[in-house]
Amino acid sequence: MTAGTDTSRGVKETSEALREAVARQFGRSLHIRTLDTGSCAACEQEIRLLAAPHYDLHRLGFFFTPAPRHADLLMATGPMIRAFGPAARKTYEAMPGPKLVVATGACALGGVYQPDAFTHGGIAGTLPVDVWIPGCPPSPLALLQGLLVAVGRLAEKVQDLSFTQNGTPR
Amino acid sequence: MPLWFIRGLRRGVVTTRYPARPDDSAALLPTPPSFRPGALTIAVADRLAQVCPSRALTREGEVLLYDVGACTACGRCRAEVPAAVTDSGQFELAATIRARLIKRIPLADGGRAPGSGAEVSP
Amino acid sequence: MTAIQRDLAGRDPGLAGLLAALGQDGPAAGGPVITADVPAGRLEDAVRRIAARPAARLADVFASAADRGDAVILRLIWGLDADHAYLVTESVIEAERYPSLSDIAPAAFYEECEIYEQFGIRPAGTKPLNRVALPPIADCDLPRLGRAPAPPPADVHAPHVVGGHAFEFPFGPVRQVGVESLYYGLVTSGEEVVDLYLFTWHKYRGVEWRLQGRTPRDALFHVERTEGLGAVGPAWAFAAAAEAALGLAPPPQAERSRAIALELDRLYNHAAATAALCQSTGLVIGQAAAEIALERLLRLNAAAFGHRYLFGVVDIGGAAAGPDAAALRRDLPGAYGELRRAADALLSTNSFLDRLEATGILSQEAAARLGLVGPVARATGLPIDVRADHPASPYAELLPEVATADGGDVLARFRVMLAEAAESVRLIEEMLGAGAGPGRAEPSGGAGGAGSDAAASGLGWAESCRGEALAWVALDDRGRITRARLRPASVRNWRGFDDACRSQNVFTDIPIIEASFWLTVAGTAR
Repeated sequence: MTAGTDTSRGVKETSEALREAVARQFGRSLHIRTLDTGSCAACEQEIRLLAAPHYDLHRLGFFFTPAPRHADLLMATGPMIRAFGPAARKTYEAMPGPKLVVATGACALGGVYQPDAFTHGGIAGTLPVDVWIPGCPPSPLALLQGLLVAVGRLAEKVQDLSFTQNGTPR
Repeated sequence: MPLWFIRGLRRGVVTTRYPARPDDSAALLPTPPSFRPGALTIAVADRLAQVCPSRALTREGEVLLYDVGACTACGRCRAEVPAAVTDSGQFELAATIRARLIKRIPLADGGRAPGSGAEVSP
Repeated sequence: MTAIQRDLAGRDPGLAGLLAALGQDGPAAGGPVITADVPAGRLEDAVRRIAARPAARLADVFASAADRGDAVILRLIWGLDADHAYLVTESVIEAERYPSLSDIAPAAFYEECEIYEQFGIRPAGTKPLNRVALPPIADCDLPRLGRAPAPPPADVHAPHVVGGHAFEFPFGPVRQVGVESLYYGLVTSGEEVVDLYLFTWHKYRGVEWRLQGRTPRDALFHVERTEGLGAVGPAWAFAAAAEAALGLAPPPQAERSRAIALELDRLYNHAAATAALCQSTGLVIGQAAAEIALERLLRLNAAAFGHRYLFGVVDIGGAAAGPDAAALRRDLPGAYGELRRAADALLSTNSFLDRLEATGILSQEAAARLGLVGPVARATGLPIDVRADHPASPYAELLPEVATADGGDVLARFRVMLAEAAESVRLIEEMLGAGAGPGRAEPSGGAGGAGSDAAASGLGWAESCRGEALAWVALDDRGRITRARLRPASVRNWRGFDDACRSQNVFTDIPIIEASFWLTVAGTAR
């Protein structure tokens, strides 16, 4: 499932159909496997807090699972250290389809690290990403919003934000 | 373990109601910046691009390219040019298309109409 | 760091004698860092003498490329805790071999392996050197700080015989949900842990290599994100090193701001470790209680300093942010109270305590031999804490109490963390009383450090939540980094993890021991 990685019109229409399929399949409950591709460990702590009392992702039908075979969604942090690449691919390939990949945190999105000999500088080249969640680290609330967007239960907002002030809508 | 049971009952519910209701704790969170186009000259844009440690800001001609996805909300751009930079207050930033996180902000020296979510790959 | 001026004569005359034996007439400055040039031929003798000094520990060993030719400068950082000083010995190594340090100070073995990978020089002797950062890919050619090693390092697997049968199985790097990637080889005869080898190269990011050529302020952004879970300690150590190189003294209110952030950092990490301990023992309700405390502490961080993980507080020359004192005074008691009540309940829950007692025992002898730091070391009875041993402002005025325990098991480590949390609250309140805020000392004149290498380098340290974090920085005459050395506490304490897991422990104890160490892979694989 690679919706969201291309911007031509034809693929946008296909990706709409895919999004509807995703919402049907995963809209009520899904299992999440996390993947650390080289993070500083702060993203992992925020992800762990999703199961904590303040956030409780279980009430939204999300569950963590250690087994990729059991998982529907891969939540990947870190800039994809090259030495880790094969482990990342194995984890992704062990997940049965349909499946989603959520790039989590600035490092996974291509910030902080530039591509160099040690790191790819983001997970996009190694795994097909469906949802991107910015932050350093993204707070549990931001993570919840990202997961709900991934399963089609919350609408994306960021495309309508201009991040400018003085007359232009925020 | 009656001790834990009673503690739990007394403690009560702390769980957020998000997304059904907004969560106050969001107000404490650092957020990516918003920019004031009127204060964004080419010189200012270059300074901002220079100071950003995550390469979220680059200048392309008369446009400031702002990659919200690469932004860590570190605040260095705001400290560098406070007149041009403010907090967006936005934390609901998830995107299904990477390009939606790249904002093109026209500089004060340019004359182009503002656009967002343009076809720019990171 | 503000230098605490002590006259050499006021120190133990044994230290003067040691320095004289090293060929030093007197220290470069009467401050907390002493630098000594030791020719390569006298290095072994020097190491023996220093190691024999009471309360001397080899805190770090690292190399830098010399300005000319293929030579390498080997630096040893010794913590002379009883003398309240750090001793940095510098030796120029021109040959491919240098005297074996780990034979005298076993704590140095890991660093000898690091140096071999980065600079291609090795200690004398035939001891095989392990892989540290390089992945086992035959055509891998990663950038290094110096010359590539030849032959390349190998994975060392000692033969294990336990009752005639032992087998090894690799575990990871993708492990339980929500934990960092870590690959280890578990040697077992069935249930008992015979040995445990850690391989951290999946997360090796080459941070020291990446910092070269940057300004200290640019570099600080990356240093904070090297070990983000507990970022303040390493960031402070790095900033202090740059400040020592540049001759900057942060203003007092900025020092207190940093210290408040460091204590908040300690608080939330100890709460997180408590939650992890509960999770590892299957006490879900305890985990929930600890997580409530943790979340409140993270929100406290955001209210006080604008970031849940306290990024962006430490700055070169001082502090970029000052605490919101009103918010801190208002919310700290409630947040700490949450942790205290959870801890009290845990200490009354026998089924929980049973899992912790006598699990993951580390002896004081092992902790000293391996050069461990922080709560892990203090739980074996070793009273090392840089806030007391190498006090820099404001700790020198505050006299923090050093928490120790006996037994070196998981329960002892837990008790030390709880005692430290209480002390952190007291320290924060005192510092708020004295006044804390942002502020930065600016370099006067140029970027500093023009001329001799000695003038443009510096050592920094801080007692992070995991223990002593060290950093050493050398700047060129434009103020850009020529060599940055980062040594978070995790680098040291992972080597104690193997020891603590070995024998008398079973598989299900490993996550409990890991939680009680509360280290990060990121802090080692930098």
